[in-house]
Amino acid sequence: MSVLEAKSITKTFPGVKALENVDISFELGKIHCIVGENGAGKSTLIKCLTGNYEPDSGEILIGGSSAKNDRKLFQRIAYVPQEIDLFQYMTVAENLFIPFERAGIKGRIRHRRLEEKAAPILEKFHITAKGSDIVKDISVSEQQLLQIARAVSLEEYDVLILDEPTTCLTTKEAHQLFEIVNSIKAENKAIIFISHKLDEVFELGDTISVFVNGLKVATEPLSDVDINWVVEQMTGKVIDYQEMFHSGNVTEETILEVENLSGKDFHHISFQLKKGEILGFSGLVGAGRSELMQAIFGYLPVYEGNISSRGKKWKKNDTHASVANGMFYLPEERRSQGILPELSVSVNASMNSLNRLNRWNGISRTKEKALVTEIVEEYNIKTSDFDKEIKFLSGGNQQKVIVGRCTSSDPEILVFDEPTKGIDIGAKTDIYKLMKRLAEQGIGIILISSEMDEIRKCSNRIICMYQGSMTGEFDGNANKDTILKAILGIGQETKEEDHNAG
Amino acid sequence: MQDNMMKDTNRSGFVKKLLKNNVTLILGVLILMIVVASVFSPHFLTLFNLQSLMRDLAFIGMIAVAQSLLLLIGELDLSVGKTATLSGVFGGLLMTTLHVNPFLSFFLALISGAILGAINGMLVSGLRLNAMVTTIGMQSLYGGITLVITKGKAITNIPEEIFFLGKGSLGPIPIPFIFMIVVLICILYFTQRTRTGRYIYAIGNSKEASKLMGIRVNRIRVLLYSIVGFISALAGMLYVARLGSAQAAIGNSWPMNSIAAGVIGGVALTGGVGTPFGALIGAAIICVISNVIVLFGVNVYWQEAVSGLVVVVAIALPSLLKIIRERKMIKK
Repeated sequence: MSVLEAKSITKTFPGVKALENVDISFELGKIHCIVGENGAGKSTLIKCLTGNYEPDSGEILIGGSSAKNDRKLFQRIAYVPQEIDLFQYMTVAENLFIPFERAGIKGRIRHRRLEEKAAPILEKFHITAKGSDIVKDISVSEQQLLQIARAVSLEEYDVLILDEPTTCLTTKEAHQLFEIVNSIKAENKAIIFISHKLDEVFELGDTISVFVNGLKVATEPLSDVDINWVVEQMTGKVIDYQEMFHSGNVTEETILEVENLSGKDFHHISFQLKKGEILGFSGLVGAGRSELMQAIFGYLPVYEGNISSRGKKWKKNDTHASVANGMFYLPEERRSQGILPELSVSVNASMNSLNRLNRWNGISRTKEKALVTEIVEEYNIKTSDFDKEIKFLSGGNQQKVIVGRCTSSDPEILVFDEPTKGIDIGAKTDIYKLMKRLAEQGIGIILISSEMDEIRKCSNRIICMYQGSMTGEFDGNANKDTILKAILGIGQETKEEDHNAG
Repeated sequence: MQDNMMKDTNRSGFVKKLLKNNVTLILGVLILMIVVASVFSPHFLTLFNLQSLMRDLAFIGMIAVAQSLLLLIGELDLSVGKTATLSGVFGGLLMTTLHVNPFLSFFLALISGAILGAINGMLVSGLRLNAMVTTIGMQSLYGGITLVITKGKAITNIPEEIFFLGKGSLGPIPIPFIFMIVVLICILYFTQRTRTGRYIYAIGNSKEASKLMGIRVNRIRVLLYSIVGFISALAGMLYVARLGSAQAAIGNSWPMNSIAAGVIGGVALTGGVGTPFGALIGAAIICVISNVIVLFGVNVYWQEAVSGLVVVVAIALPSLLKIIRERKMIKK
């Protein structure tokens, strides 16, 4: 029977219909996956289900009774947010029990008692950290598990909502998480699992619901459908899941040469980037790929080694010089490092081309508008008007604005750091096509990605890194096992000896 | 005042739209205050009172407009008052004991202010210090140096040629007020129309993103601190010309008032949102408040408390409206 049910709920925000007449129900002992593009209404739905938003019309039934007048019912819903939401400088045990009233801890806080109380919970969730550890020192995957433990271990609940819990996890860590999710399912709880990663959905889920533009377009048992069906539902079109996006215009001209470069999280890295190629950097989270690129770009310090471009020495530690030399870095953390959230789409898009928009009385609004129109059209950015703050755009569209900003000032080298993180499948393909097109126009592209399929689909060459060292270089058609071995550091000792000898 | 605002939100769509813009809202509050003041006090709209109001606003307004530059990048300078005093004393000494040409001394004082500002900027950006703590320290340092130089005494016999800069008027408009308007126009042009202006907003939104875009974040920060120092020194020197002497006790209320003015005028303390024009409106509100308190004959001992209370209410107003708006949205 259904433990949580939304009956024809509609929620409108000024100018946007976030949810329209959505009917959805969740059953005990089932994992119900929800997929949809950013902005499809998933978050709004969750906020309605957890009682954070009041729907404009329709009602939420929890355990068969309406939650409208009995808000206590919402306590039966446990929610784990997408971003890590822990007190980073407090201990694991404190994080588990705050607010203390909820955990029935009264009076003076005794750490030893907290930790004793935490131990069985930590064990149940396979968290190896001790109750006395400071949260910022434990791994991201354990933080994720701790979040789940916090949500479910102290209260009676029927429904657990997991919002993209694997975004920051490696494949192995994700599987540990799945084990725990399955054990919760075995306790006869309803689980709502939101994810962009369709392979995970198929591995874990029982039922799938697809959302598009505030509408629920389908709900099916996962055993009856396949990936192509899901993509078709989401995009309304058939996408060839096997399509490749290698650049077809690789030249022999080297535009970036890195020799024996070392920094805080990477050691003795050497590689060359050719004009018109897509060079993939594969590795686990924390392999030092982003740090390496940020150091080349001038954002992080370089300890030793040389960088040169077309025979000219590269100026280190100076992002301004890198940009002037035609290198742009598109960060993984779009929200904190990529966009300027409170500023308009227009200002965000033109930020790197202002020198071309000058007029006697400052920045020319007409020229700026023309430039932005060009970018918006070229990259098919969906926005109602240019003066809208960029924070209101979906992740994919924000990414396109950033790409547009960089490409509008004639770049030579573009570094894409996890460009499709948190972006749905339809928009992912757009980004792949975009990289291919840019490479074929003669830009050298470096792609950092933790997704094996993405790397193999797009890269002409693949460099693998493990714990800050290069562990292999392959061409784009290398098979999965070879790459996997390299990014897991298997056979990496010999490679390191090579470096020491050289 | 709160009741009035709440009624206003229920009026026609046009008013609603205007009210969504915080600068319009704050401008409305200012006009309302002026109307109330002129109705209840016959002295408010007299030429004499308006002139003295403008003269006060010239100084606080100038500092508020400068301070908004730093607020826009999410930082602030609490040493504006002491920068003004130290530059004022420096300029005063040049004119009196060293017999340098008064106008040249005036100019050199402004340069010294810019240098003091640049020192703040270099400390904050070069050593990666917190702006608030650093400038609290620097304000004592600058204030202390002033005391050492003057031994607490005012520098008198300032040459009379420069008195008109502080005391004079062009028609009915006091000269310092004209300076303030010029400063405002320059800063507005700088922030709204130039490349560096755009970069200021970018830095205020995200220092990391700005650096990754190739913006020279630290260079711009030092530049802004020195502009603030320069304008503080200008205010300081105009004050010297107004008083006819350079002394250590001016500008004590400037740091707090300029920040309050910015916040009232819709410049976010976290940076990236608001305009220097808003900060000026905020400064005008503060000036009208202190003027009205005097005109209404509030007991001298109560003046500071009342003025503080009204400033806090003014700061709370936009935030309060936002809360009301959000509540309504949830109910809908």
